Amino acid sequence: MSMLDGLRLLDGLRFRNISSPIHKIDPRAKFVYVCALFFVAILFNQIIPLLILFLSQVPLVIIARVKKEWLRLIRGSIFFAALIFAMNVISLYFYGGYPSLASIIEHSLAMTLRFIVLVESFSIFFLTTSPDIFGLSLEQMGIPYEFCFAFTTAIRFVPVLAEETQTIMDAQRARGLELESGGFIKRIRNYIPILIPLIVNAIRRSLELAEAMESRAWGASKKRTNLYALKMGGKDYCFIIISIIIILISIYVWLFIKIPSITQIMQL
Amino acid sequence: MAIIRASNLTYTYPFAEKPAFKNVNLEIERGEFVLLTGPSGCGKTTLCRCFNGLIPHFYGGTLEGEIIVAGLKPSEHAIYEMAQHVGFVFQNPENQLFALTVEKDVAFGLENLGLPRDEIRRRVDWALKVTGIYDLKDRAPFELSGGQQQRVAIASVLAMQPEIIVLDEPTSFLDPLSAKSILEVIHRLNRELNITVILVEHRLDLAARYASRVIVMDEGQIILDEEPRKAFLEEKTKMVGVGIPKVVRLYLLLREDGINLSRVPLSPDEAAESIVEVLESDRG
Repeated sequence: MSMLDGLRLLDGLRFRNISSPIHKIDPRAKFVYVCALFFVAILFNQIIPLLILFLSQVPLVIIARVKKEWLRLIRGSIFFAALIFAMNVISLYFYGGYPSLASIIEHSLAMTLRFIVLVESFSIFFLTTSPDIFGLSLEQMGIPYEFCFAFTTAIRFVPVLAEETQTIMDAQRARGLELESGGFIKRIRNYIPILIPLIVNAIRRSLELAEAMESRAWGASKKRTNLYALKMGGKDYCFIIISIIIILISIYVWLFIKIPSITQIMQL
Repeated sequence: MAIIRASNLTYTYPFAEKPAFKNVNLEIERGEFVLLTGPSGCGKTTLCRCFNGLIPHFYGGTLEGEIIVAGLKPSEHAIYEMAQHVGFVFQNPENQLFALTVEKDVAFGLENLGLPRDEIRRRVDWALKVTGIYDLKDRAPFELSGGQQQRVAIASVLAMQPEIIVLDEPTSFLDPLSAKSILEVIHRLNRELNITVILVEHRLDLAARYASRVIVMDEGQIILDEEPRKAFLEEKTKMVGVGIPKVVRLYLLLREDGINLSRVPLSPDEAAESIVEVLESDRG
């Protein structure tokens, strides 16, 4: 994975200004929901509940109209998913004490699916929450404004830096720099002529930003106002209640229902 | 009373051997449109930084002499206090917009001041309308063209209702057409809202027509301070490599050939008008 691919992955995380019922839900409510999903995904290690969890998110993605970006993120996580799968198979084969290869594979698939569910729920949150609004919710939760500002500014400059990296790469290539040649160490060293101008530019840019911030009364008042204010409404409380119900149901299932594994079903 | 008054102002950047400018004396009246020009490195940007207190607060260094801006001494007031009187628009539009929507960016300064929410809302809408970008208010700044971004930057200082707006080469990242429309926005602020404008600009062809006064700097000195129709005729202006407007050059060429236009033109329209005048008087 090259640096540029990494930036592209970040670009997948970039918020797009679309309006949907999911976008309108208060980020705090959405955060509770994501936590609920996390909880359920960690609770179960069988493939069937994880699959249900995975599939139950799909309608949400469609309602939120972020299908394309969401698919891109899932595709972006395939590399790590494959890694997790391989690690699980290897370690369970040697240390697991599982009865058959089929059950090892099933368990490893479940672990991989768990990872994908985590990525999925995380991406739904970020794809449907404007970083501005997210920053605002952090602010209203009492996190100092400086940190919230740093967060939103970092996100705002991702596309700018991606473009700049591309320009620098083109410029250095035009001077004969070969990026894709040599062994592993050589390839890493190839990126030094790109990193240095990138860092120098970033420092210069941050100074200009600081100057512009100062010129627009940064730090004038201890009690800063925000143009927007977040308010939890009926819809948001509903969303939180749904999240809690999901947690309760899954605890109930976990305690009282024995979930069969695929290998068992196949044997019957 | 002058809104900006500098006397014997000398400034040296930290670690610099010689001052960026020396013994500058300057008086700018309320409502003027000052075009500040000169070759790169002549100290014009540095001078502007003194107006809102970036010098000495942000840059350090040693500032000697006296400067009073909107009744305040920048060295004795924090930058955020000066910012309420002096708006500053920078060269690179990209690096002065922080937020993820245009509206939020214009609100940034007002939010910092801690104004009530409905007051912020009112001023933001007003500034967006004056600069003609109300329709863009929900867009992200990085999706906009350079000209639109620079309008956002102007709107965001305008929202703070300053008496003075300083613009440091606001058109240098723009194509000629967007440059022209930005300069027209600035001109409107000056004429309709009576905001004092200090414009640092190399593109004299586009900017000359709006100025009420031209100041030329070279090597840390003000070498010329005149009204535009006189300034471009001076030898000194040409000497330092300031590209005088093409229509002024046309005026000079015609004068060499014995054709005297009634006034020094500052825009192609004015030139055309004067030439028609000469032609008609010839016929008559």
